[in-house]
Amino acid sequence: MPITELLLGGILLGGVYALMACGLNLIFGVMRVINFAHGDILAVAALSTVSIVVGFKLPFWVAIVVVPLASAALGVLIYVAILRRIEGAPMIMSLLATYALSTIVVNIAILIWGGGYSGLPGVLGGAVRLFGVNVSISRLVSFACALAISLAVWWILEYTRFGRAVRSVSQAPELAVISGISVERVRVATFALGTAMAGLAGVLVAPAFAIDPQLGSRFIIKAFAVIIVGGMGSYPGAILAALLLGVIEVMGSYLSGAVLGSAYLYLLMLGVLLIRPRGLLGTGIRI
Amino acid sequence: MRNRGALAIVGAAGIAALVLPLLGSDYAISFSIQLLIFLILAYSWNLIGGYTGYTHFGQVGFFGIGAYVGSLLIFHWGVPWYLAAAMAGFAGAAVAVPLGGAMLRLKGPFFAIGMFGLARVLEAFALGFDSITQGGTGIYLKPLGDLRPLYYVVAAVAAIMVLLTWRLDNSRLGLKLLAIREDESAAESLGIPTTRLKIGTFVASAVAPAAMGALYAVYLGFIDPPTAFAPNIELTTIAMVLLGGMGTVLGPLVGAVALSVVNEVLWANYPQIYLASVGVIILLAVLFTPRGLVNLGIRGGWLPAGRPLFRRLAQRAGQTP
Amino acid sequence: MTEIILTVDDVSKRFAGRVALDSVSIDVARGSVTGVIGPNGSGKSTLFNIIAGTLRPDQGRVSVAGRDITRASAAEICGLGVARTFQISRLFAEMTVLENLVAVARGLDDRAAIALALELLEFLEIAGIAKKWGSELSYGQRKLVEIARALMLQPKIMLLDEPFAGINPRLQNRIVGHLKALCAKGITVFFIDHEMRIVLSECDLVYVLAEGRLIARGDPNSVRNDSKVLEAYF
Repeated sequence: MPITELLLGGILLGGVYALMACGLNLIFGVMRVINFAHGDILAVAALSTVSIVVGFKLPFWVAIVVVPLASAALGVLIYVAILRRIEGAPMIMSLLATYALSTIVVNIAILIWGGGYSGLPGVLGGAVRLFGVNVSISRLVSFACALAISLAVWWILEYTRFGRAVRSVSQAPELAVISGISVERVRVATFALGTAMAGLAGVLVAPAFAIDPQLGSRFIIKAFAVIIVGGMGSYPGAILAALLLGVIEVMGSYLSGAVLGSAYLYLLMLGVLLIRPRGLLGTGIRI
Repeated sequence: MRNRGALAIVGAAGIAALVLPLLGSDYAISFSIQLLIFLILAYSWNLIGGYTGYTHFGQVGFFGIGAYVGSLLIFHWGVPWYLAAAMAGFAGAAVAVPLGGAMLRLKGPFFAIGMFGLARVLEAFALGFDSITQGGTGIYLKPLGDLRPLYYVVAAVAAIMVLLTWRLDNSRLGLKLLAIREDESAAESLGIPTTRLKIGTFVASAVAPAAMGALYAVYLGFIDPPTAFAPNIELTTIAMVLLGGMGTVLGPLVGAVALSVVNEVLWANYPQIYLASVGVIILLAVLFTPRGLVNLGIRGGWLPAGRPLFRRLAQRAGQTP
Repeated sequence: MTEIILTVDDVSKRFAGRVALDSVSIDVARGSVTGVIGPNGSGKSTLFNIIAGTLRPDQGRVSVAGRDITRASAAEICGLGVARTFQISRLFAEMTVLENLVAVARGLDDRAAIALALELLEFLEIAGIAKKWGSELSYGQRKLVEIARALMLQPKIMLLDEPFAGINPRLQNRIVGHLKALCAKGITVFFIDHEMRIVLSECDLVYVLAEGRLIARGDPNSVRNDSKVLEAYF
């Protein structure tokens, strides 16, 4: 088994999962909402990137700037139109709402871009030699950016005032209100940030993988697995788990084929849910 | 007065169901079979999701298991279709017992997502273990010449589900399930055997979908992983119960009829926005009528509130000196 | 003489390094009214939940009628004839008061369950609200329904979690009357509360907790004048 190649491939894949899972975690932490539509936003972002580069013939960096901003705007729209209205409702309602949203987004994506696969073969092409293995530059760049952004957001959460506000709303919303934090604004900002992260992840995925409108539904279950294994609410846990699961998926695919390879992820998630529900680094989140 | 509203709905449905195969066209029978299958799926989901409060997105997993078990029985051993469906139902229940024991320990959204992932994994297994399941190629079954017997079987199962739900609604067991939904740990502290009841209901909610999976394969004459485990089926089922009214007797009926009609119109004329439309319906239901149309009817006064048995018994007890 | 029906034996409990209970021992006599009071943070709730089975102690034992229930689940404890109410009422919101009661009935058929429910509502003088939804009740009504629901289990021991908190004195006295009536029927009443007035006037035996330790035990008069108690509270 070509260990190094698989290991490297898995870690690179994990980088993107990390970015996606961190966004999801952030949203869950602050709003107790599990955003089923997160993966589909990623897919739409990836497809938009293809349109921007191939369709409008603009440089790739334009996509890197525009798409996450547009995603953030979409996030604000979703929050205002839907999530804010079901604030106090049982969690299953927000699950249903985001589940429904996911199908709407996928349908719209199919209408705009068709159901087939596309990609960005030309962008960030080529390969480098790393640890004796050929690694595609696009995957390397996508990994580096994803990891960098994930760590940057983590830094924001730990060391800035905004980050502290986010954390206090996550842990104790009633106390946050008393300390003068506008919980509403923190929620909107967090959701927008989380969505922007999904958008960015989509941009980074476009040059490295084949994309189609159903990409989101494939990614979302993996993102859930990442958060659960890493521990819901734990940011470093999500990053670690993402890398771990990337490796497991790549190795699993090598051993049993692509289809069953992703089944391993889910089985691990199930195992964690049943044996150690708070995950690797989670702190027993209050539902 | 209000009882007449409920009787009218059930009566109309019953008469329509009986008369259809005699008068209806092949298209009408075909449409009705699909409607009835969804009705059964909706009533099953209503048991675990509506009454017990353990909503989840994985019911299609049982549907798919039943579809494959049934199809393989028919394909390899020539088992007659109605027997294959019964055995498929059995298989669904058998799988649900250990699965329930494991999964029902998860709370709320974890349970919902866990079941969702399970359905996706089952689909992956169906694709991957193609030596058994023929993978992506699918299994082809000899098509049924006359759909009428299938219609009658499905209609009978539907009637049974409605009846069972009505009995449940008016029973102590139903109250216990609702107690679990409202506050599981309080219920447990007061002596209600929550684990036993949850698993029992979960198994009960798996039997009919598994049997329907097999019957659906027979109806189509074909089954493959995307058809057997279609997220579409899950989505539509949940939309029906949500729209109709979770945890009620008439909710799934109202939801199934309403959505089947909408589906048919959409699918025939605008298939490309079908998914989005069902999504929009669910979204609107969540935002504006989370309790469903039936509960609107109850508040409007033209449907009786649920669980009348206890009120009636209490009244009678109050009258005896 | 008086039979001890509930024993808490040298129970200790820590939460993340903080001591909640430190070697607390309690005896409750059958048919008596026993109260535990203490200022906030004294460990009353922890003790209550350990007895009711929703928490496990780090050390010590709890037994009911001679049977060890330290490791028993709440449901098992229920089966031994112990019923509890909740401090913040946890009624089943989407069910009527009658259904709330009938849902927990055990070992009775439908008719008997309803008869018992109506009888209990009558006993607590709230028969008129039988048809109201759990979510529609006032705070005081909730408390009473909580008690009725616990009584549906036909318990030998009633555990009440702050039954007098936040209700007006007239309702408090009414509840005291009901509890005394229960005692007269041989049911043991055990509760924790803040309301010193009631505890010190109605209990047969009072325990006082402070900072996780038992600082006084005795009949209301001796506790009322106990210097340690006065110190802890004032």
